[in-house]
Amino acid sequence: MLVLSRHKDETIMIGDNIELTVVDIRGDKVRIGIKAPSTVPVHRKEVYEAIRKENEGASSFNKDDLGEIPPPRIARFN
Amino acid sequence: MQVQTTRFGTVEVDDSRILEFPSGLLGFSSYTQYALLQPDDDGLFFWLQSTEAPELAFVVTDPATWVPDYQATVRKEQMEELSLNTLETAQTFVIVNKYDQTLTVNLQGPIIVNLGNHQAMQLVLADKRWTTRHEIVRLTSQERLTA
Repeated sequence: MLVLSRHKDETIMIGDNIELTVVDIRGDKVRIGIKAPSTVPVHRKEVYEAIRKENEGASSFNKDDLGEIPPPRIARFN
Repeated sequence: MQVQTTRFGTVEVDDSRILEFPSGLLGFSSYTQYALLQPDDDGLFFWLQSTEAPELAFVVTDPATWVPDYQATVRKEQMEELSLNTLETAQTFVIVNKYDQTLTVNLQGPIIVNLGNHQAMQLVLADKRWTTRHEIVRLTSQERLTA
């Protein structure tokens, strides 16, 4: 991982159009301003990870675990 | 189209039930097409079945049924990505999970579908009111018998 030191109000450029600015530093908390194109999703990692993990868990739902949810009533071929 | 599934065998799905997720779901970005399978006419739960990976399927439900005040905020650029002009032609689903005998829904990562063009995406909401494991049903043996 690249590690850079920055003071308050200093900025890091990522590529041509993403800017991270250290807006405030208080104790062990840093406030970071992010300027990025609207097409670049920006998330707190723990939120992103929580959803990814939840998706992973939900994907292993199986029909037998879920006797209480009826299977789809649709044409079947086997 | 015919969809191979590990849970239901090979099923015939009308094209109107096919959803495209250009970015996939979080953690499953390589799978971009799903079929929305409806268990019955008034069913509360649907299966979101990958058309590309037979073993990949999620149970989803309409959050309004369970959490009346729930709101998923869709940003302008996300509406553009889905080619949505108005939220009136959008449908929200949330993914269901099960912990022991409790069904939960992921309110923080809802799925938005443009009913017009069937483009869909999973959002990541910053609103701390909505959690990834919101309890909706505690299953009892009685409920399992009657469902």
